[in-house]
Amino acid sequence: MRTTRFWIVLLTLMGLALSACVAPMPAAEAPGAPAPAVGPKTLTIASGTDIENMNVHRVTSSPSFSVLEHIYETLFYMNPEGELEPLLAESLEPGEEEHTFILKLRQGVNFSDGTPFNAEAVKMNLEYVLNPDNGSAFAFLISRIREIEVVDDYTVKLILDSDFAPLAAHLSHGALAMVAPSALEQGNDFLANNAIGTGPYMLERWDRAESVTLVRNPNYWREPPAIDRLVFKVVQEDGARLVEVEAGTVDIAVRVPPAEAARVDANPNVDVITTPGLRTIYIFFNVTREPFDDVRVRQAINYAVDVEAIVNQLFNGAARVSDAPFAPPIFGYKPNPPYARDLEKARALLAEAGVPEGTSLVLYHPTGRYVQDALVADAVRAQLREVGLEVELRTLEWPQYVPFVRAPAGENQVQFAMLGWSTPTMDADYALYALFHSSEHPPGFNGAFYSNPEVDRLLDEARTTVDPEVRRELYAQAIDIIWEEAPWLFLYSEVQLTAIRTNVEGFIVHPNERLIATYADKK
Amino acid sequence: MTQYILRRFLWAIPVLLGASFLVFWSIRWVPGDPAIAIAGELATPELVEKVRAELGLDQPLPIQYGIYLGRMLRGDMGTSVRSGLPVFEEIRIRLPRTLQLTFFSLLFAAAIGIPIGVLSATRANTWIDALSMIFALLGVSMPIFWLGLMLIVFFALTLPSWLGLNQPILPPTGAGTWQHLVMPTIALAANSMAIQARMTRASMLEVLRSDYIRTARAKGVPEFSVVYNHGLRNALIPIVTVIGLQFGTLLGGAVLTETVFAWPGIGRLLVDSIGYRDYPVIQGTVLVITVGFVLVNILVDVLYAYLDPRIRYT
Repeated sequence: MRTTRFWIVLLTLMGLALSACVAPMPAAEAPGAPAPAVGPKTLTIASGTDIENMNVHRVTSSPSFSVLEHIYETLFYMNPEGELEPLLAESLEPGEEEHTFILKLRQGVNFSDGTPFNAEAVKMNLEYVLNPDNGSAFAFLISRIREIEVVDDYTVKLILDSDFAPLAAHLSHGALAMVAPSALEQGNDFLANNAIGTGPYMLERWDRAESVTLVRNPNYWREPPAIDRLVFKVVQEDGARLVEVEAGTVDIAVRVPPAEAARVDANPNVDVITTPGLRTIYIFFNVTREPFDDVRVRQAINYAVDVEAIVNQLFNGAARVSDAPFAPPIFGYKPNPPYARDLEKARALLAEAGVPEGTSLVLYHPTGRYVQDALVADAVRAQLREVGLEVELRTLEWPQYVPFVRAPAGENQVQFAMLGWSTPTMDADYALYALFHSSEHPPGFNGAFYSNPEVDRLLDEARTTVDPEVRRELYAQAIDIIWEEAPWLFLYSEVQLTAIRTNVEGFIVHPNERLIATYADKK
Repeated sequence: MTQYILRRFLWAIPVLLGASFLVFWSIRWVPGDPAIAIAGELATPELVEKVRAELGLDQPLPIQYGIYLGRMLRGDMGTSVRSGLPVFEEIRIRLPRTLQLTFFSLLFAAAIGIPIGVLSATRANTWIDALSMIFALLGVSMPIFWLGLMLIVFFALTLPSWLGLNQPILPPTGAGTWQHLVMPTIALAANSMAIQARMTRASMLEVLRSDYIRTARAKGVPEFSVVYNHGLRNALIPIVTVIGLQFGTLLGGAVLTETVFAWPGIGRLLVDSIGYRDYPVIQGTVLVITVGFVLVNILVDVLYAYLDPRIRYT
């Protein structure tokens, strides 16, 4: 009797546990079946991380934007070549009054719920981002906008507190995409789980930590995409992502480890494509502290470190030795001859500056934030030993690291430290102003405390100049000075490696780490 | 018995309180500021301050703990800092997946591990014994991560190419069908299986030497019955303890398996949240794991009574 009851209880418990397990499972698909070539076409992308949530104004990571930019569209689009194209906007011209811009919108565009895209929608979206209560991390991109006026249904007047040339480039950032007012009105809880935009795809379902599935928007205002269904599948582990793309269970795998690239590329069904990245990795010198207050010491270190060797050995060549403070796809890029390794010159410069052999220095670096970051720091340490500098490495966890290297003047303990800077707007203003302008000393991002009135002037002028050719020239001059004064140890910019099945055509890996399937097709 | 179980449940309350206390304080000792994690690395110090205030992180710790406990009692686990979604929701979606994986792994481990242990014990010091124990040693020492990747490569690439198929035998990653469950189950079970095999062997060897087994044999009880009805049942007590403990460990420790196979469980949720200093999710997940552990322990105690009628709880 006792035994029977016991078994009844046990079996009930197990049954409960199992039914709990089985109930919420999504509809079963055939095991890893790639979409058949005929019928609806599905493109599956193995991504490294799940999206944060569906609120495009609040997310911050590239994987999130990669998904959401298929649902939402921006006013302008920065193409992979770094050229700005109108998208939901038709034009942005300076207005008649001072510091104003007139934004003309495309007509006849509807959100996927049928509501119209118009000036009112633009105003609501920009105001949502600017409202600090909404916690939009990219609000600073448009923080110069003081007022947004609806002129008519398809014209918006933006009143700024100063002229700001990169405004259109900034409006191309995914965080400033246009969300349907009907969705914005329903509040942040709704926006975190739903997405209503004007884009080529619509949200079908989001299985958290598993995948996001998008379906084609039947009423898209441009040519509809060829792929019916997009699946962004979360596969964290590098090795597993590669097996998936090799086995054909996914069509695209992001972030191929450099060491695996050649092997995967040798597979006849898979290509590994290389895309320049927008993130530059550098080590900044605190130019207000000895010995880095002497330009010769900073140059000596640039001569002493063999970046080429670091790129070849730690990245299998999958990185680009810096020849400017930012990467080539970015507007305003101007190369300078890299500091090629020259130990004699480095030693001579150090001696000239009165830095004795055996001087100890402390280098701070993050661990696991950037590809191979700790190994790069260690390589720098080893190479600097050859010119008689003893470098001690110190690391902090990322959440601690950022405030540490951004501590204001009185509290700042950094001698030199490694960081990366990505320029998602693909405009030199974003790439240079925050890092080299003297108004951006910590807690800003000019951790070097670099200060040069001429550089300040050039950056200010380029910011308010509308003519792109003049801007390009101004940035070139600023870059030359920065290169010469070396407030950084210039390292490399990242390169993205993506594995793509050979039957996929037209898939775009954007330098800003967005994956674009809108123009893709599958044979 | 009923009274005993009730008492055990009452005892669980201080355990859970203790666990919540430990988690709450220990994650706050770990350096790193969730406000910065949320506001983003580009945020101004003012924005960081604002976020901190929004999260209530500007309050003194004892007050924060009080607020947290109060919310918990009302069944409110808070909102994830990272996703902005309710913690309860985040856990509700993933917990079934982890339970499923844990349950099948233990089942699989026991179904293979215990018979191997019995076989080893009854054939002690023969080549069968040696082979079984080598197998067990492999299971204990193989890193889950490596085993997982090897399984993926084998079932998705190697075996299909031997068989001339252009489709994987089993889906390499993900969840949703029984096929998805096979590889993670094997990977997660390997270690437990090996431990269970060794425990069973040791326990069986001891039991098989006892007087009542000799008596049973002398009475002419069939060997199978001697080993399984008389021997194994008595040898099971330490094994059940181990399985119970393993359930708890697997519940929270399936992280590696979940990562390799992109299995959306709470182990991965926990690790991701720690990296992000997502306090509410860390607290909620650990609490849920603790509850699981406590429940399994109660279940194990009850099982003792069933396995050994001499054990009586009053």
